[in-house]
Amino acid sequence: MRRGVVSLVVGLMTVAGAARAEGLSFPVLVPLTGFLSLEGTSQRNGALLALKEAPAGLIGAAETIDTGTSPEAAVTALERAAGGGPVGAVAASMLGTQMLAMLPLAAELKVPLVTVSGTAAITEQNNPWVFRFFPGDAVTKTAHARYVVEELKKSRPAVIYQTTAYGQSGKTHLDSAFRALNVTPVFQEGVDPTAKDLLPVLTRALATNPDVLVLHLHAGPTALLLKQAATSGLSIPVVAGSAMHQPSTAALLDPAELKGVCAETAASPVSGGSPAVGAFTASYRAAFGKEPDAFALGQYDGMMMVLAAVKAGAKTAEDVRKALSVGRHDGLAMRYASDGKGNMAHSAVIVCYDGKSRIPTLAKRYDNVTGVVK
Amino acid sequence: MRDWLGRDWLGRDRVGAAALLVGAVGLLAYALIWASPYGLRVLTVAGVYALASFGFQIIFGLGGALSLAQGAFFGLGAYVTGILGSRYGFDASVTFPLSLLAPLLVALPVGLAVLRLDSHYFALATLGVAQVLHLLVVNLPDLTGGANGVPGVPPFALFGWSAPRGLPTAALVWGMVAVGGLIGWRVARGRLGRSLALVRDDPMAAACLGLDVGRLRLMAFALSALYAGAAGALAVHTQRVVSPEVLEFPVMVTILTIAVVGGRGRMVGALLGALLLIHLPEWFRGLERSYLIVYGVALLLVILLAPMGLTGLWTRLFPPPTHRLPAPLEPPAPPALNGERLRAEGVTKDFGGVRALDGVSLRLEAGVIVGLIGPNGSGKTTLINALSGLERLDAGQVRIDGRVMTNARPDRIARAGLARSFQAAILPDDATALAAVAAARLPLDRRVERAEAHARWALERLGVGALAGRLCHGLPAALRRRVELARALARRPSVLLLDEPAAGLTDAEKAELAALLRALAADGVALLVVEHDMEFLLPLADRVLCLDRGRTLYEGAPDGVRRDAGVIAAYLGGVGA
Repeated sequence: MRRGVVSLVVGLMTVAGAARAEGLSFPVLVPLTGFLSLEGTSQRNGALLALKEAPAGLIGAAETIDTGTSPEAAVTALERAAGGGPVGAVAASMLGTQMLAMLPLAAELKVPLVTVSGTAAITEQNNPWVFRFFPGDAVTKTAHARYVVEELKKSRPAVIYQTTAYGQSGKTHLDSAFRALNVTPVFQEGVDPTAKDLLPVLTRALATNPDVLVLHLHAGPTALLLKQAATSGLSIPVVAGSAMHQPSTAALLDPAELKGVCAETAASPVSGGSPAVGAFTASYRAAFGKEPDAFALGQYDGMMMVLAAVKAGAKTAEDVRKALSVGRHDGLAMRYASDGKGNMAHSAVIVCYDGKSRIPTLAKRYDNVTGVVK
Repeated sequence: MRDWLGRDWLGRDRVGAAALLVGAVGLLAYALIWASPYGLRVLTVAGVYALASFGFQIIFGLGGALSLAQGAFFGLGAYVTGILGSRYGFDASVTFPLSLLAPLLVALPVGLAVLRLDSHYFALATLGVAQVLHLLVVNLPDLTGGANGVPGVPPFALFGWSAPRGLPTAALVWGMVAVGGLIGWRVARGRLGRSLALVRDDPMAAACLGLDVGRLRLMAFALSALYAGAAGALAVHTQRVVSPEVLEFPVMVTILTIAVVGGRGRMVGALLGALLLIHLPEWFRGLERSYLIVYGVALLLVILLAPMGLTGLWTRLFPPPTHRLPAPLEPPAPPALNGERLRAEGVTKDFGGVRALDGVSLRLEAGVIVGLIGPNGSGKTTLINALSGLERLDAGQVRIDGRVMTNARPDRIARAGLARSFQAAILPDDATALAAVAAARLPLDRRVERAEAHARWALERLGVGALAGRLCHGLPAALRRRVELARALARRPSVLLLDEPAAGLTDAEKAELAALLRALAADGVALLVVEHDMEFLLPLADRVLCLDRGRTLYEGAPDGVRRDAGVIAAYLGGVGA
């Protein structure tokens, strides 16, 4: 597995000097260490796979730089990447605070940032250089809340979220979505991502007599809470955030512990859905020895749209930006189009686990939630 | 080159100064000629951390207090600039002073509350400050932007001029580093720095030399907060966003590592440490995840090769030349008074259920040597500790020159004219004898040079002037006692309490010590000498006080003690029988 990753990176680096996509490079600046390393690795893999499978005639060069989890490291990484020659676009960190830090510099350097960050604020800065290929919280949390209320017919959700930018943003949008559906959560509490025991918060939540548990946590805490919930005999359904759909999260749990658990996400490549998605999953497994998730697929789709723009004649970062701003792209996960702020993804799905397998099945699809895609 | 005190420091350490100059010129040339925008950015970040670490060197390196709030003060300064600059459009003329003020206003009350705690409790308490601030910024999203933080912070701007990224910002930050470093260097070499070093090495001894330990630590804590606030403000201007990460532990760990790797207590160490620590991960960044392993190994190697930090390694490779010693200068003597200098009445001290002192009374007069004897555990050292303020009395009263000093702080008692020595001579190992003695004059002399001249006089007076330039580490026991005595004498005390000054001395050394103590008494000093060696003490003392189980067993002439049945039974045994 490791050898696969190394060979792919080495292969890409080797060809970098010989041939670039129209002389442009496509640095990958993602968190490979720290609490977002799982998601960041998916991001990197998706970007690298897209560059590897670049449209005929194009070979994308990529330098991968670990941004850790500090905004300072992300800005430094962007400065470093920009110093390495003309940049077509950057596969940029999915960590919201890192994106917020990189945005002013990206505007100054005139470099498009292609990300799968779900943090709403990154596309609210009037910055034309950011493009999010993952549905924002306005989309996913609408799907999340609608599934809880419309499909599961639940009206007393208990919401547990993370005290990070990701968590607070999701919580805010869940509030709005539930309000729009005339539902008031019976419990809401934020937990620190470093918390090692989530039984206290789970106990407090259950004490309010909810009929569904709504989670918006990072991968590790999601797995921990579900494990502790299963151990304590939780009898109400759980609808989790997108971290749950990741195969790496599911791998932390026994299939039985996943019974009755659903999750919102942009896509679930391991669940199949189309021959193209199946081919992507197979290529991903071959290259990285891992199961792909929605972050990998979103980043893959994003970089593919960038490369398609180059293929279509974009010669500068500004050309790429324009193409992303006004174009449409039929990606593997969905059809992408900008809403004018850089939000490219407007669909979400709900996947559910049957308690026998770690591969979820598609339970519900919510397309064009924002009405942007015509 | 002469510094602000007129010292020829370049002449003292030409190699070090030349290296510093070459380094500065090299850094300047790199920034102006070779550095890419990325290189300049990394250099800028290193400058920010150097500034934060200067402050940490003062509280931790010099003061010895492991403050884990430095990262929190850094973050607080960053948030003040971030919120005021981004939301209200204030420029640096408003945001920068307020970014210094906010950490200072937090540091002062926090410092008053926690600075008297022992080292690990202090560290935990300051870590708590950081945690509280972090929780506040995450949970006050209307003010702080919550976990997302505050984006859109403008670059550093002052009176209409805005610093573009790259060279101007790097120059601005490094200009601040130069100013901050110079101030820190002056602090470290001046009275405050030396006093803090004494507090770090032995707070008890420092207090008994008249240093207000609490006030000094509070000053150091406040100074460290100012530096951290300044660094935080600059950090947010270079980063253009402020988020809770600036208040998280990795920032603190980076500052701590910079101080340790660079060399504890040295401003140059902070500079070198910051340059190395910030650049090191960038050099290995291309290794993706593996860079952390390589980075860790590289750090480990640095610590193994230079356990005292980079500046410690430099000093080992290029020992600074022995600097010219000041001419001895006799410190002003206290007014010559006869009669009673210290009176203790009914001194009582309990340790739990054990009564260590039970109504002990004592008079010390100018020119009189009082011997204090008694079996082990009789309360001799407790009495000295009680008189010098290290133990609080449960009952009784102590007066020095007529002023009531009962349960006064040790530094106030010292300033009232009392000096003391300890059973084991407490001297800082890495200081010269001259510096160790000069430390005793820091609360009294306005300039370090004057303190050193007075210290030289004290060393000469004790017959150990030749030791002035030698490190205390490795001095034989007898010489350490002389140096410690010189330190007490340098204060020109009116009352001198000596705890077993003859322990470990040869007969010849004891004779010399006895002559010296007689000379001090002849100068009008009131002496209390605790000693087990009767052959040394009884011929020396004018009066003897014998304690047993905390009570006065005998008080009177030395001759009488040999004949006192109670003393013989309790303590002397066959001596004099």
